[in-house]
Amino acid sequence: MRRQRSLVWAAIAIAVSAMCVAALTELWHPGIGGGGRSLAVVLRMVTYCIGAVGVIFTGTACMRLDRVVTSIARQFPADPSAGGDVSDMKEPLRLRHTIDAHLRDRDERINRLEAGLKGLRIQAQLSERRERHTEAIIYSLRDAVLVTDESGRLLMANEPAAHLFGFAAQGLCRRPLAEVVGPEHRDFVELLHRSRQSGVEATRREMVFAGPDGPHTFDTIVSCVLDAGKVSGVVAVLHDITREKEISQMKNDFVSHVSHELKTPLASITAYSEMLADGEADDEETREEFYTIIQTQAQRLNRLIEDILNVSRIESGLIKVHKEPVSLTILIEQQMQMIKGFAEEKNITVTGQKPIVFDQVYADKDMISQVIVNLLSNAVKYTPAGGSVRIETHVNEADGLARVTVTDTGVGIPADEVEHVFDKFYRVAANNKQAKGTGLGLNLVKQIVEKVHDGRVFVTSQVGVGSTFGFELPLATRELVETA
Amino acid sequence: MAGKKVLIADDEVHIIHVVAIKLRNNGYEVICAGNGAEAYDLACREKPDIVVADYQMPFLTGIELIQKLRENEQLRDLPVILLTARSFAISDEQKASLGVEECLSKPFSPRELLKTVEDILYQRAVALKC
Repeated sequence: MRRQRSLVWAAIAIAVSAMCVAALTELWHPGIGGGGRSLAVVLRMVTYCIGAVGVIFTGTACMRLDRVVTSIARQFPADPSAGGDVSDMKEPLRLRHTIDAHLRDRDERINRLEAGLKGLRIQAQLSERRERHTEAIIYSLRDAVLVTDESGRLLMANEPAAHLFGFAAQGLCRRPLAEVVGPEHRDFVELLHRSRQSGVEATRREMVFAGPDGPHTFDTIVSCVLDAGKVSGVVAVLHDITREKEISQMKNDFVSHVSHELKTPLASITAYSEMLADGEADDEETREEFYTIIQTQAQRLNRLIEDILNVSRIESGLIKVHKEPVSLTILIEQQMQMIKGFAEEKNITVTGQKPIVFDQVYADKDMISQVIVNLLSNAVKYTPAGGSVRIETHVNEADGLARVTVTDTGVGIPADEVEHVFDKFYRVAANNKQAKGTGLGLNLVKQIVEKVHDGRVFVTSQVGVGSTFGFELPLATRELVETA
Repeated sequence: MAGKKVLIADDEVHIIHVVAIKLRNNGYEVICAGNGAEAYDLACREKPDIVVADYQMPFLTGIELIQKLRENEQLRDLPVILLTARSFAISDEQKASLGVEECLSKPFSPRELLKTVEDILYQRAVALKC
């Protein structure tokens, strides 16, 4: 740049010098003389000087323009393909271009890395969130869940699992499962081990574990976690199916009992009908007896079906209830008459009580009659021949309650079974052979008293001494009785 | 087969009644028991030719009665017809192992029961002659 400037100044100096020389030459020329001629020379010299000054200004302006152009050229890299005056700037511009390209490349890589890092951060967050969700699900499950690694070391166990196997859920990470659950659960550890060895995705088995309240059956599902075809862990889920099995067994027992109970009167009806058709009844008296048996057995069948339906209706809330003020004493008298024949067959005495002044309850007469007859017939059924059954009513006006008790001198109920006697289909195992039944009678009593009449049922019993079953109902108000 | 002694064991008084009438009307001697334990005692005492027993009875069930009869040297070969309200209560294997001759489902036909009793006693008689 400095060289160019020097060249420009040199050109200007040569131009000015040339003009001055020209002016002097004009002045000293021998052919020139006189006053008019001198004025012309002066004017010419002035013109030359003005021209020289103009050249100087032009040179200065060129240099300024050059500086501006150079300055702009510095800001913009020169096109290497272009020729001309920028050729001597190619190297630094190329260098600059390379550096800029590197910088751009670096920026792009940084941007890519930042984007990748951001993605990884998001993935890590999602993964962490998923893990927290999984943990929350596992810890909130009522089923026992255990997770082990590929070597059988415990990775995770929720509270039900800790409770089932008797260990503390915290601080067990990476301890061998066999060590954590103890030798009494060897079968379970073995199941997980075999599952891990075989690599089978899921194995299902029913396993029984001892619990504080007796053995519990678990539906155990063991699943292998596969990573690129290799087992990287095992998940065991244990679902307690003890209650489900009990219910299933109860249902089976119920179907079996009901089928037996329904078929027994049906068998009598069928057999006596056939006997009549075959002329096996010789005389009118025998025929009459057969007809009566058919009729009573049909009634028995109907009662049984009604019992089953009533339990179902009460449970589903579909039963029609007709409540009115009814006297318990009157209902008891009526039901005692009904049970009399059955009791006499077994030589059992059934006694009642003296009438009570006010023992009216606001109840469905038919339903409470059924409650009384069920309690009386149960008492007779489970009382050995020669025993006694007593039914009593107590009125507590202060509490507004009427209480009916049926006390027998029967076989009694073992203490651990007393609390279950009102359960549906439940039959006391020890007394099963004593009498037949569906396990519905007492459940019906409970449903009618507690669900339909807001009352309460109760029982006390002693094996070999007898039992007292009873119920309490709210007394009807005198206003209600008068209105009725 | 008239004159043969049949033991009927059932806790349903009407079933005993109807079966007894049917068999007596056809010349059989009938003895009755209201439960399994009573039936076993009666079998030991009376030595019947055949037993008709209910599957579900108090004190001793039909199956338990048969098992006790099979344990008794004198009653081991006593033919038994089982009456059951549960058609699937006894398997063929159980029937064979207990030596139950026939299993009739309730409701049953007294006519069919009589024929079964006659057939079993006839086969036993033929077997004895051979």
